[in-house]
Amino acid sequence: MSLNFDPSYALEFDFGRGQIRMANASERVIVPCDALLALCQGASEDAVRDFGRRLGTEAGRVMNDRLGEAWQASLETVLEHLGGELALMGLGSLGLERWGQALVLSFSHSPLGWAGDLLLGSVLEGAMQRSFGRDTVAIKLMRDDQKVRFLLAGHAGASKASNWLAEGVPWGDVLSRLATRGVS
Amino acid sequence: MNQEVNKLQELLARVQRNAALPRTLVSAPEPVVPVHAEPPVAFSAPAYIAPVAEFTAEEVFFESEPPPPPVYARTFTPEPPAPPVQAGASLDASVDELLLEDPFPSVPPRPSYNEVLEEEPPRPVSVPTARPLDRDEDVSGVVAISEFSEEQPEELLEDDIVEMTATEAAALPTANNALDELDFDDDELDGKRSAPPSDEEPPASSSRSRIAGTMDEALARAAEQIQLQEGREVPLKTPPPESGPQAAVALPAGMHAPLSPDIEELLEADILPTGGVRAAVPTAEQLGQTIELEEARGPSLELDHPAAFKQEALQEDLPNEELEVTLPGREFGGGYQEDLMPPPEARQDLDAHRQRLGDDSVPPPPESLAQYPSQQPAAYAGGFAPAIVPANVSTDSYSESVSTVTVDAPANAEFAPELLARPDIGPSPVAKFIRVEAPRPKTFMELLDSSLALGSD
Repeated sequence: MSLNFDPSYALEFDFGRGQIRMANASERVIVPCDALLALCQGASEDAVRDFGRRLGTEAGRVMNDRLGEAWQASLETVLEHLGGELALMGLGSLGLERWGQALVLSFSHSPLGWAGDLLLGSVLEGAMQRSFGRDTVAIKLMRDDQKVRFLLAGHAGASKASNWLAEGVPWGDVLSRLATRGVS
Repeated sequence: MNQEVNKLQELLARVQRNAALPRTLVSAPEPVVPVHAEPPVAFSAPAYIAPVAEFTAEEVFFESEPPPPPVYARTFTPEPPAPPVQAGASLDASVDELLLEDPFPSVPPRPSYNEVLEEEPPRPVSVPTARPLDRDEDVSGVVAISEFSEEQPEELLEDDIVEMTATEAAALPTANNALDELDFDDDELDGKRSAPPSDEEPPASSSRSRIAGTMDEALARAAEQIQLQEGREVPLKTPPPESGPQAAVALPAGMHAPLSPDIEELLEADILPTGGVRAAVPTAEQLGQTIELEEARGPSLELDHPAAFKQEALQEDLPNEELEVTLPGREFGGGYQEDLMPPPEARQDLDAHRQRLGDDSVPPPPESLAQYPSQQPAAYAGGFAPAIVPANVSTDSYSESVSTVTVDAPANAEFAPELLARPDIGPSPVAKFIRVEAPRPKTFMELLDSSLALGSD
């Protein structure tokens, strides 16, 4: 199992055919971000989620092919390889935060901006489904200019957190409440 | 000889015939016979006979003394030698004289010369063409009579030699023409012959004196040269030998030849060491004004030689390699004595300052939440009872080197401020820190599972 992500020759540009292929993956299409965002904004939420999950599933599959046994991989290994695959897609830099028992994944420098947060969350859900076989819900905790944080939780915890967030509870308190309620 | 005898006989017959003719006066002047233009009739230059010792051109033309006149040998013949005949009109005269002197003339005396002239004009005289003078031909004034004879040169006697001056020799046209036509170049090859230079003046490019015509003239010139050489100054610097003696050129005014150095000065300069001893040693005039000073009074000071610098000793003195200076200890840290009291002026100023600002103006030192307040009201439990806070100025320092100064201000009840305290609040937790001791998951799967478990009751 390779521990380090090696992006060498990850993309292959076939000028004769006019195709772009990713190693161990299918063909790729380079599209402008504005066009993609326009498509996402015009599409329904389910369509965007489905589109995003397809992207995440592809990333999870490639990661599993490289890691072999992904369920034994450490935090750093998963972050390195999954983040590498998402970076090849041009979605941004993946980050990982552990708040107690809560798992928080973040994207930095994403070119999609705030309009692509739903898409990014769906990508994470699809990657977790494809890599680890777990149905997860990515709840957006916060968003600033450069980073967006997603809490990966189950359906119960995700609903509570969404309610607290809708009530205006700071995302730190949401995490505390989830931890407290979980403890208690 | 026979021809000459025949000529003489014909001449004699003609004289006799003319003598029989009547004489007439001739009013017309006698025709002038050019003496110089008509050389002697029966004479011609003798043929050249190379002498035994042949002279070179340099010896002939560039020697200071003229070469000796050549002597042409004349072969003796049984016939009496012909009398010497001079050129020109003297030839006829000599013939007449010969006739007159003949004591036993065989023919009647000839008529006089005038008679002959009246009878018939003089016969044309053939002038021999000038011939070039041979190189060894005599150009001096001594001319042998035999040169003008057609006959072969014969040995000359002393009587035959006639001394002639240069002017007389120049008067001879034949000799002059022959001399002018001297040419040592190859005339056959050089068709263009320049005009003969004048023998009166030497060429401008020639620096040599003219060759003396006679021995006397040569002697006179030699004497003049000796006199010139005696009166000539010898230059200081002898010119190169090839240039010959030259007259010294006088230097212009203000310039003179370098003087010869003084040998004594040079010797002294060699003896004295280099470095200007002459300048260091005072002169005699300076020594005359020297004043001897008295010796200094008091203890004598002797300068000792400084100890030799030892690098090792210096290194031993230094405790470390670096030049460090040990700072004084804590006891020298600039503390204050406890019993030190301010001066009376400062005390008065301090009292006035405190009265002006009041005791409340002294702010308490900053406190943090982690420290207890340094000033606590004395009577807190007494509710709002006024309490007088002792005026203590304390300075706490974190450094032990700074001592604490405590000034006890005098109690002044009249100006004591009223202190208001906040109501007593029961203790309540300000912040709650939850320490979660969750174990760090080993795998990503464990963390994901724990995160998925959050919020599930």
